[in-house]
Amino acid sequence: MSDTTTTASSRLYRPRVSTVLGWCSLGSLVTLALFGLWGAPSDEVQSDAQRLMYLHVPTAWVAYLAFGVTALASALWLWPRTRSTVWDRVAGSSAEIGVLFTGLCLVLGSLWGKPVWGAWWAWDARLVTTAVLFFLYLGYLALRRIPAAPDARAKRCAIAALIAFVDVPIVHFSVTWWRTLHQDGTVFTDDLKAHIHGVMAFTLWFGVFAFTLLYAYLLDRRYRLMVLDEDREDREVARAIEERVGASTHAGTPSANGASASDPVAAGSASGAQS
Amino acid sequence: MKFAEYVITGWVLTGVVLAAYWLWIVRRTKRAEASMHVDEVDRA
Repeated sequence: MSDTTTTASSRLYRPRVSTVLGWCSLGSLVTLALFGLWGAPSDEVQSDAQRLMYLHVPTAWVAYLAFGVTALASALWLWPRTRSTVWDRVAGSSAEIGVLFTGLCLVLGSLWGKPVWGAWWAWDARLVTTAVLFFLYLGYLALRRIPAAPDARAKRCAIAALIAFVDVPIVHFSVTWWRTLHQDGTVFTDDLKAHIHGVMAFTLWFGVFAFTLLYAYLLDRRYRLMVLDEDREDREVARAIEERVGASTHAGTPSANGASASDPVAAGSASGAQS
Repeated sequence: MKFAEYVITGWVLTGVVLAAYWLWIVRRTKRAEASMHVDEVDRA
């Protein structure tokens, strides 16, 4: 096994933990679907449209969590004592999952808004700040794809992640800071008590739990993929350098005038001098 | 079920999106692991 392969394997998580986490997530999500679609009673006012909340609220929670982890990992990368590529990878992986869940949260909110509000979209503070959050982190992911030296890229991405995170508390408190169409917090209140039917409250909390498990599982898998991708890039660069060195060694036999055949400029000027 | 079209669309869409993302990660991971194995054989 090559050195790079050994290094990559040793940097990866134990697959068994990941598999257990994956099965636990799947089991939790199936249970959530059973409760969310059949177990919980329908809402007196919103009727069955409220069943979308069992997904909408957990996706919003995972978005907060994912961007929080991205911000924390970015801060740990920026702090010289804890600087490690691990934090850069965690930040990138978590941000990608956060964008996915923010997108889902927006779409689910829109699907709920149509039957309950009578509109797919409203220029409401919560909705607009969430859309801004989505595009901020989409920009962050685009920034990560711009080619640069690893440290320079990690530094600018860490700063961008911390700036983007400012929007998370704005999203959360938008319903209390401004008059909005969006309702106040139901689950994430000061006393963390959902003032709703017991089975409804259980399903909401279980949804938050199930999606947190799913987040942990996806983060693990995405981190693992990022390590493998980086390793593949390293191997490709090493191979390209090897080929280049090999080619120049074979073609490096000096010509009569002393210019190397692999150096067309020198060879050309030498032949010009001869003629 | 009232508003069934919205509820079912939301649940199915969430399932499809999450499954697609998971599948994308798994496929890319398998491809990367396979290329690592090919490199290993080449070097041996």
